[in-house]
Amino acid sequence: MSSDTAPSWQADIDRLSEQLSEAISGADDLEALRAVELAALGRKGSLTALMKRIGTLDKDERKAFGSASGGLRGRVTKSLNERRETIRRQGVLAELSDSSFDETVPGRSSELGHVHPLNRVQMEAEDVFVSMGFEVLDYPEVESEFNNFEALNIPSWHPARDMQDTFWLESGQLLRTHTSAGQVRAMHALKAPFRAIFPGKVYRYEATDASHEHTFHQLEGLMIDRHVSVGHLLDSMRTLLSAILRREVTVRLRPGYFPFVEPGFELDISCQVCEGTGCSVCKQSGWVELLPCGLVHPNVLRAGGLDPEHWQGWAFGLGLSRLVMMRYGIDDIRLLLGGDARFVEGFHPGT
Amino acid sequence: MYVSWNWIGEFVDTTGIDPVEFADRFTLAVAEIEGVSHYGQGLDQVLVAQVTEVTAHPNADKLRLAHCDLGDTTVTVVCGAPDLRVGMVVPFVPPNVTLPSGITVRDGQVRGVDSPGMLASEADLGLSDDHDGLMDLAELKCAPGQAMIQYIALQDVLYEIDNKSITHRPDLWGQLGMAREVAALLRRPLLVPSTEVVWGSKAGPKVTLDDHASCRRYLSAELDHVSIAPSPLSIRMRLRSLGVRPINNVVDATNWVMLETGNPLHAFDAAQIDDDHIVIRRAEPTETMVTLDGEHRSLTNQDCVIASAQEPIALAGIMGGQNSEIRAETTRVLLESASFDGANIRKTASRLGVRTESSARFEKHLDPNTAAFAAHRFVRVLHELCPEMVVVSELVDCGPHVSAPPTPRVVETSRSYLRSRLGLSAAQLSDAWMDETLSSLEFEVTALDTERLAVTVPSFRAGRDVSIQEDLVEELGRIFGYDHIPSQAPMISAHPAALPAGKMQERRARAALALGEGLTEVVLYSFESDATRQRLGLSELDAADQQRPRLTLRNYLSSDMRHMRRCLSNNLLESLEYNLAQGTRAAEGHKGMQIGLFEIGRVFRPIHADQPLQADPGIPAVLTSDSERQTYLNGLSPALLSGVEQAERKAIALPSQPRHLALAIGHRLGGGQKGWVQPLAEVTRSLYGQAVGAIERLLRQMCLPEATFKKLDSTDKRLETSLELNAAWLHSARHAGIWIADRLVGVITMIHPDVRNSLDIPAEAVLAELDLEVLLEIPPVAERGQAPAKFPPSSFDLTLPCTSSVRTREVLDGLTLRLSEVNSDIEVQTQWVRDFFDSSDQYGRAMTLRMTCRRLDGSLSDNDILSVRSAAIDHLDACEGVRPNWGDEIRAMS
Ligand SMILES: [Zn+2]
Repeated sequence: MSSDTAPSWQADIDRLSEQLSEAISGADDLEALRAVELAALGRKGSLTALMKRIGTLDKDERKAFGSASGGLRGRVTKSLNERRETIRRQGVLAELSDSSFDETVPGRSSELGHVHPLNRVQMEAEDVFVSMGFEVLDYPEVESEFNNFEALNIPSWHPARDMQDTFWLESGQLLRTHTSAGQVRAMHALKAPFRAIFPGKVYRYEATDASHEHTFHQLEGLMIDRHVSVGHLLDSMRTLLSAILRREVTVRLRPGYFPFVEPGFELDISCQVCEGTGCSVCKQSGWVELLPCGLVHPNVLRAGGLDPEHWQGWAFGLGLSRLVMMRYGIDDIRLLLGGDARFVEGFHPGT
Repeated sequence: MYVSWNWIGEFVDTTGIDPVEFADRFTLAVAEIEGVSHYGQGLDQVLVAQVTEVTAHPNADKLRLAHCDLGDTTVTVVCGAPDLRVGMVVPFVPPNVTLPSGITVRDGQVRGVDSPGMLASEADLGLSDDHDGLMDLAELKCAPGQAMIQYIALQDVLYEIDNKSITHRPDLWGQLGMAREVAALLRRPLLVPSTEVVWGSKAGPKVTLDDHASCRRYLSAELDHVSIAPSPLSIRMRLRSLGVRPINNVVDATNWVMLETGNPLHAFDAAQIDDDHIVIRRAEPTETMVTLDGEHRSLTNQDCVIASAQEPIALAGIMGGQNSEIRAETTRVLLESASFDGANIRKTASRLGVRTESSARFEKHLDPNTAAFAAHRFVRVLHELCPEMVVVSELVDCGPHVSAPPTPRVVETSRSYLRSRLGLSAAQLSDAWMDETLSSLEFEVTALDTERLAVTVPSFRAGRDVSIQEDLVEELGRIFGYDHIPSQAPMISAHPAALPAGKMQERRARAALALGEGLTEVVLYSFESDATRQRLGLSELDAADQQRPRLTLRNYLSSDMRHMRRCLSNNLLESLEYNLAQGTRAAEGHKGMQIGLFEIGRVFRPIHADQPLQADPGIPAVLTSDSERQTYLNGLSPALLSGVEQAERKAIALPSQPRHLALAIGHRLGGGQKGWVQPLAEVTRSLYGQAVGAIERLLRQMCLPEATFKKLDSTDKRLETSLELNAAWLHSARHAGIWIADRLVGVITMIHPDVRNSLDIPAEAVLAELDLEVLLEIPPVAERGQAPAKFPPSSFDLTLPCTSSVRTREVLDGLTLRLSEVNSDIEVQTQWVRDFFDSSDQYGRAMTLRMTCRRLDGSLSDNDILSVRSAAIDHLDACEGVRPNWGDEIRAMS
């Protein structure tokens, strides 16, 4: 073959080159491009077939054919890659400007259940007390008359000892009327000095209405140490109640009679609604009655095996049910133990 | 009870004190004031008028015109009072004055005649309920035109005291006791009213005091020449302002002295009592009497009565009898001033349902010395109300308090102790202030040395009030003002505190069930109603099963609360029923077709009679000796003793009250279908699987070993457990005991169809109950850090047709064991993936299992997997109920 005339395969190469570059630029997506690639470079591809023709050529033509067809293969591969990158880029750009994405579609998650608000508040309170070094104790609801009354210096003539206020069991035992029934248990169980709380269910023989329940929840606090004064009680109650109520509270003490403390107090806290200036919630007084407390009576210490010459203490009884009602604005105590799931589900899930 | 500021003012100089401001101080130091009211507000505008002429109203028969002298002027007003007559001195209310009754007098015409103001009755002025006629001011001897209140104290400030805050202070049930507190707070002297009486020489009434337990002191005297009449206006108005209805001078005098001293009195018409013989005794069991309120009372021998020789004439300390009542014609009066036992009064009053001013006071256990004081005061007061009265007899004074007077109580303390318990220094709480305060409260202070004090308690505080030095801390603290005590951070020991295991366990349970499984926690009552048990079909079982004792209440509010729950499930099922019924729009409900509930709480079981008793750790060590225990038992009320005796005399063990956890998941019907007796098998399986999943999650959250579920057999049912193994809701075919190793920790069951029907659970429900105390005893699984496997796993599934008798757990356990033997280098995990149920197929069920293989020393080869696979097939081939000869086909396929 002379060098001045174009070899016969040159036209085929040119044609194929033209076809392929058209096909490549015509491929709109990666799938189409892949098809073009296979059609050209696959085992039975057009370029592959063309390149096989080298075997039919003369020896001197082979070099020229090899370089021409190899050049074509190089160009095709390169433009395939370029095209692939272009298409990918277009895809990225398209995705980044997607207007069909609905960001307001409602979430789907497995439904969370609900923890009862009494237990939520109780757990929160437990955490506060634990953080201040209080033991958390759990005591029986069926109690002996001794622990519920006798040991607490509640004398036999006291009205609380009547059938009137207490559920008595046929066995002569009773349903504890207050968590204070745990005081003597705690004194025997823990080594003084100690501080402890014992929350739980208590029972009163009492007709039920929106603000009275025969079953409710309390949290008893007890601190025993070498020297405990009214000043200490004031400070402890302010600190603890501020943490429990999650606001800075001011407390004040009024005389109150509870046989197991002496002196005994009704503790008032500053009214949250009016911040002490007077409103209907606090009956214009600026104060809201929160809980009974006092310095532990020496007879109770004795019943707990502690010598009042050496040990002193303070105690309080917080109404957990009442705290829950205050926090969530519940005006009917019967909702708490009513067993209606819809009531519990009205609170945030979680613990 | 009310405190009258006017009355207080008679016993202590209150000049310069604003009673409204002072109320706060009083609340902080003495007793809670529930309200401060201004009695007689607006009455200062009311004038005294004298009626000079009465003429007819031109347009009305029942109205007349009253022409009145107002001093400087006259006025003519329309008046409807039938008793209007010339010469009367009455209150005149000028126009535009608003009276305490709320009436505002208008300046206008009445039936066409000008009437600038009005003449007023006591009711118009808000002073009484007496609408009958005009208020008669004649006895005040006042000048027309003057302000009425110049002549009679009708305006007062009243403190309403919360009675609960003075139950322990019998001395505060009279105005004088309250005045003593005010005097101490104001640091001004208390002016005690005079008790000077000249008693007669005649022998007093014959008093036979039989009931020493109920009556500690009884004073009596005979008063003659009494003429019964209304008390003066000022007395009547004072009584009314404190809520006591005036009757006549004698009765008013008893009430006056009761309000003043706190000690109730009674006056008998001597003419009705033979020989002036008074007997204080217990009533005969069949005796009856008619009390002053006209009620017939049946008495018991627990009631103390005052009787004549024949019959009861008063219910002691509560109410007089009609037969000895003061009448208009009474001239001779027998006085009773006594001190009755509070507990006895309270029992009788509450049994008869009658509560009076008198019983309310006696219940507080009054000081017998006050009875003597009150007797003297009565004579002084009656003299003023009825000057012609003569004290003819001596004063009779008898009773255990008189024959053996108690020695005054002395409390020893030290100044430093009193200060330290308050948290005050000597500079803040001086010796002088201490002494002054205690003496103003009538404590006698004797200094034993510079530090130590002997404090004598006044008898009116000695009863059940002040007995130890802590009580003196309170006396000083409250008068000092607790709001002036600086708060002081306690010096406390630092030590770690953590939630106890039981609390942690409950928290984990809540996290697993509420947050993990979407269940809702409820807190239910600890009582169980008979109706619930009946509906649950438990009553019949109860009757048949004597081994199912429950704790029973001696007193209960309603039959619903007669028994304590033995398990959580019964009440939880009822709650589930209720909540399913609320969700009628199930499809729209956010929980779709299901309601899932759980509860954590205590259940209660009596201790078997034959069970060894353990001493209750709550009974203190100080009571360990037999004699001390005996003393303790003797202190129990007799009514309770029989039960206690039965329980055990030596030790009093509490019933077992373990914490349980129960969960219930119910399926709702869509579209409100009722009476669907045949629940869908899929619902059953899915609810069961869901509950099992919840329990498995719960146990994992508690770090406990995996549980196995298998049906209970008759041996299991004899296990000693706090779980109900014989409950009516337990489905004989669809239940399982929940076991961890060899311990039964819980029970899970689909609800028995009969219970489903009687509870109106139309579709299906599952229930499980676990004993948290048993779970607490099981050691948690030890945790160990493990490096992740280096070589990738490979897995294959097998779907096995099988019969309904196949138990997944057995297949899995057998397979796991077999595959562990294939090759010690290959680890195989066997997992249940799903079940298919198809009733048209001859087997009815197909179970898909997944085997995940991993080589410990390198990558798995095809041969490894094949060897596991064929071992699995060989094993399953031999399993009963799994499709026979099925391995060949599989082998051919592979
Ligand atoms: Zn307020």
